[in-house]
Amino acid sequence: MSGARADALAADIDARLPQTQCTRCGYAGCAPYAAAIAAGEAGIDRCPPGGAATIAALAQLLGRTPLPLNPACGTEGPPRVAVIDEARCIGCAKCLAPCPVDAIVGAPKHLHAVLEERCTGCELCLPPCPVDCIEMQPAPPSHRNDPGLNRTRYAAHRARAARLAQERTQAIAAKKALAGRTAATR
Amino acid sequence: MLIEVVAAGTRHAISKSYSIDPPATVGDALARAMLDPAFAGVDFAAAVGVFGRIARVDAPLRDGDRVEIYRPLREDPKSARRRRAAAASRSVRS
Repeated sequence: MSGARADALAADIDARLPQTQCTRCGYAGCAPYAAAIAAGEAGIDRCPPGGAATIAALAQLLGRTPLPLNPACGTEGPPRVAVIDEARCIGCAKCLAPCPVDAIVGAPKHLHAVLEERCTGCELCLPPCPVDCIEMQPAPPSHRNDPGLNRTRYAAHRARAARLAQERTQAIAAKKALAGRTAATR
Repeated sequence: MLIEVVAAGTRHAISKSYSIDPPATVGDALARAMLDPAFAGVDFAAAVGVFGRIARVDAPLRDGDRVEIYRPLREDPKSARRRRAAAASRSVRS
């Protein structure tokens, strides 16, 4: 398959993934997983948040037979959202950056909270918490996981992370240049 | 440019987006929210920031920024840690 055709197929596949960016498929996010399926490197049975519906959509797109979800990736269940136990939150801010959709509001030494309607249930905020104060709870019946909104929010999150990384690199370079000048004048 | 103002609470948050003419600051966005009945009862004297970083009210904003109004911690992290350690040592002894 040509590069352009593989890219187009990957985009079609990505459009059928839930965009939780949970990485349970073993790839770094929904788009990398879609690329791996398009390249024939990954099966269509690796998305627990999408479950049977996503597998069926992928099978139809690719003209394959639907498979059961690969248990090595996880199990399909009712939607859940992260909830922070405010009595235990120490304001460490470690859960903020891992959230792919910026669903956590908080700052160092201040209480954090999950914006429930934005939470995709990806669980990526759980491991960084040093006091285990984040718990997955059943999402309310009104909760909707909108792949389009998830994708937009993830793109904004990535763009901001890239900008911050660039600003940090520039700040370090500026500091080094200043230190070099100071040393030279001595 | 589009600026979101968020005041997060326990399992519910107040969130509104405002179109503000650039250049604008954190304070400009907060001034808009203060006039909005949706934010009634929110403590605007609390610490504020942009996307997880404490910011001053005169900090400039970029398109798409999220101005956040924070709440204080429920318990001092150091005393919380002492309490957890004491509870852990009690459970080891018993």
